[in-house]
Amino acid sequence: MPLYESTFIARQDISTQEVENLTKQFSQIVEDNGGKVLKKEYWGLRNLAYPIRKNRKGHYVMLALDTPPAVLKEMERNLKIHDDILRNVSIRVEEIQDGPSFMMNNRGDYQESRYSAANSNDEE
Amino acid sequence: MAKENVQMDDGAAGKRVFFRRRRGCPLEGTPDTEINYKNLKLIARFISEGGRILPSRITSVSAKRQRQVKKQIKIARNLALLPFVAK
Repeated sequence: MPLYESTFIARQDISTQEVENLTKQFSQIVEDNGGKVLKKEYWGLRNLAYPIRKNRKGHYVMLALDTPPAVLKEMERNLKIHDDILRNVSIRVEEIQDGPSFMMNNRGDYQESRYSAANSNDEE
Repeated sequence: MAKENVQMDDGAAGKRVFFRRRRGCPLEGTPDTEINYKNLKLIARFISEGGRILPSRITSVSAKRQRQVKKQIKIARNLALLPFVAK
């Protein structure tokens, strides 16, 4: 079955516990329909590079999946409807990296202060 | 051709972030798995101050790598990891 990486951003106002619940909920959709969740990563509450629906920060969650495409589509459909999810992107990958992805080590940070929506009001 | 001399006067502020390297591709030898929308440290080297994707004539990236980088930058932009436009 094809491998996917699906990342979604949840609103900044909800708590980490609720993000956990959301993650479980969507993982459940995948697993109930014959897919497998290979990896679950929570990147934390990050600054967004631009405001999305007036939010300047968001909870990032990444799931690595091994599912048939129809199941992925179903999960995406649910992600789209859900009010607490701001954005989601799923891409197909050739292989899933072992271990924590770049975001969990430092590679995922670069010049956050430059490119974050939360800081943009301070300039000029 | 005057191409090489006029190269740096391309106008818009922010396109001059990197010197033009005469040597080969700066991404020579990096495995494909590292060119990833999550690897912001690597990807962010190839956008300008204004958030625009730098052309390979400035960064000297090979064509294949440029395509990969471009694709990952666009994914990262959609995920608000990189801006579309930055001041």
